[in-house]
Amino acid sequence: MNRAANIIAIARREFTIRIRTRSFTVGTLLLVLGVVLIALLPTVIGKIDTVDATKVTVVAADNALAQRSATTISTLLNAGAGAGQSGSSAGIGQPDFVVSIATGLPAAREAVVRGEASGVLSIERSADGTLAFTFYSNDPASGRTASLLQQAANAIAVGDRLDRLSIPASQQATLFSPAAFSVAWPDPARTEPIQGGAAAVGQDMLAFGMTILIFMIVIMYGNWVAMSVVEEKSSRVMEVVLNAATPFQLLAGKVFGVGLVAFIQYAAVVVAGGVALLAQPTIESVVLGGAASASMVPQGLTPGLLLLFGLYGILGFLLYASLYAAAGSLVSRMEDVNSAVMPMTLISTGGYMIGVYASTGLLDARSGWITALTFVPFLSPFMMLGRVSTGIAQPWEVAVSLVLLVAMIVVAIWVAARIYTVGVLLYGQRPGTRAVWRLLREGM
Amino acid sequence: MAALADAGSRNRPSSLRLTQRLDTRVRARADGETTGRMALIIEDLHKRFGSVQALDGISFTVQPGEVFGFLGANGAGKTTTMRIVLGLMKPDSGSVTWDGRPAHDWPRRTWGYMPEERGLYAKMPVVDQLVHFASLYGMSRQRARTEAREWLVRFRIADKANARLETLSKGNQQKVQYIATILHGPDVLLMDEPFVGLDPVNVAMLKAAFLEMRDRGKTLVFSTHQLDQAEELCDSVAIIDHGRLVTAGSTRDVRRSTGHQVVRVATARDDQSWLESMPGVTVTRDGVDYAEVQVADGLSPQRILDAAIANGPVLRFEVGDPSLEQVFVERVGALEDDERTLAAAGAVA
Repeated sequence: MNRAANIIAIARREFTIRIRTRSFTVGTLLLVLGVVLIALLPTVIGKIDTVDATKVTVVAADNALAQRSATTISTLLNAGAGAGQSGSSAGIGQPDFVVSIATGLPAAREAVVRGEASGVLSIERSADGTLAFTFYSNDPASGRTASLLQQAANAIAVGDRLDRLSIPASQQATLFSPAAFSVAWPDPARTEPIQGGAAAVGQDMLAFGMTILIFMIVIMYGNWVAMSVVEEKSSRVMEVVLNAATPFQLLAGKVFGVGLVAFIQYAAVVVAGGVALLAQPTIESVVLGGAASASMVPQGLTPGLLLLFGLYGILGFLLYASLYAAAGSLVSRMEDVNSAVMPMTLISTGGYMIGVYASTGLLDARSGWITALTFVPFLSPFMMLGRVSTGIAQPWEVAVSLVLLVAMIVVAIWVAARIYTVGVLLYGQRPGTRAVWRLLREGM
Repeated sequence: MAALADAGSRNRPSSLRLTQRLDTRVRARADGETTGRMALIIEDLHKRFGSVQALDGISFTVQPGEVFGFLGANGAGKTTTMRIVLGLMKPDSGSVTWDGRPAHDWPRRTWGYMPEERGLYAKMPVVDQLVHFASLYGMSRQRARTEAREWLVRFRIADKANARLETLSKGNQQKVQYIATILHGPDVLLMDEPFVGLDPVNVAMLKAAFLEMRDRGKTLVFSTHQLDQAEELCDSVAIIDHGRLVTAGSTRDVRRSTGHQVVRVATARDDQSWLESMPGVTVTRDGVDYAEVQVADGLSPQRILDAAIANGPVLRFEVGDPSLEQVFVERVGALEDDERTLAAAGAVA
């Protein structure tokens, strides 16, 4: 009973002193602010985009050509932008390109010089009937506007040629309709729906983001645990505490106390991010005008994935934090913390890098060695989510990796408590690997 | 300042000290059967750190309800012994029992520990950390808060209750450390060099607190190399050197353990050359207030008194047991100069 009470008392102290600090308040506020900003990024970009809506004037020899060209440019460029990136403002009724028709070229060019329009597209028909386009603009010739208008010009020219070949407009449409194209599993036994291209990108990003969050939890709060151990050692408060509590209670209390701080900080971030994401369409419609679109819950964000994110985050933290505490117990001065926690930093960074590369497609997530690594307890918190979110991992694989992780945590806590028991009263020279091993075998 | 405290303790009427000792003995006897086995018994401790034999067969017994001084130079093994008694460290061999049961079987709240390297949370408010430590020993937070405030009032630092520890002076931090040691009401207090770093006013305050703890029936063990403090406060002492026990027992027995007596003499004349020139007399302490001399076998102390009378009005003449410091010097050798300086500096700081 006393054992649990002491763990709670120690966790309580670790927790209260941390949440009372100004750095915690400021840090949490900054994190929340950052997440809200990221979630609202589409609105922000949209706002910037509308301000910068490109005005293009079309000047053509005959009015019919001018009309048709204006329509083509407007449809092609605004629609093209809309399909390419989901964050574009195309769906909100605020076109990227505003196209108008003018008759006098000199006056239109004058308007561009004065900055009233971005450019003038002049269309002339040469003697053999082909169209010639000139774009008058202060923007660079290789810039986005110029290259987009070049694409539009090609479309206008093709349409014009088809006109001159007397192909009716209705048939022109079918000429350019896209062909049927699909992707399927090579294994006939696999029947689950294959991930669509755009959706897969979204889910990769989701796993990528979750992996970053787990990595940050491990590194940041693991270091907190290590520093808190060294602080107690360097201020010599350790001996006073150890007369009242066992090293194991101290270790467990620290990990739980700091873990609770981590949990609260992350809960704040996740809730703020979630609320911002759900409110984003409403805010967007208020800021930019237009009807509110459907809320933007990322594709593939299932309760199961969220649960796994929480599990891998918590278990990963427990595994690393107990080892960070053990490493911290081996040094007596704050300056030595970094070198003492180096092994954990290297392993977690390695797992994180491979995990991120695999989930973003830089490494083949299906290859054997990556699959094998996702079972390794020190790496699975950073690597398994990527395989889960893209649907590669089978449920049994996830279960096995979780069981291995929990088993490793038990071992790690046992080892850490032993190192800790000896390390906390060890002052002076930092013991080498051999000395640590000897201490582990012999105990105190 | 150290000299002042020193002189004060020595000049204290010995009758008062004697009365206090008798009180203790009577009380110990009154507790009768229980006290016989309630002692803290340290038996044959051995501990080796690499090539260093830190403890080499340390044994002594602390009677319940007494103040026990644990004396030795730096590195003698005092801290290691205390850590083993508290179970912070395991001995290579040997045992520690309290009331017949192994020390580590007792609940943690039995023990109060004040380490030599003082340690508290620098950034935590004073009362909060006192409550935290007491709660680790199983005390209710509310009771701990109330009693912590009472102690802070006692030590005249009530106004610092909610201040962060690092804002307190060193002396006041020591007081907080002492409160943290005793707040949970331990039966046995182990304190490593409790007087180091305190000014005379705070030393006096701490001594009074010690005696109060003893009167409440607590057992106090403290280590020190300020031997005059031990002589003034301790019912019993143990002297250790290089991990070995030199001697242990009641303070009086230890002082008598050299087998000879000393003469303390003072005359109104500052010049003490008459004393130094006497055959068979060795001056062991040449103070402004009085001189302490060791007399060779066969020479009667009466001869010194005669010589003193011949050399001016006698202010003091006393035949008694050697001081603990004298015993220590004879049995162990003089403390290193730097340790004396450290002890003195510690007392003044």
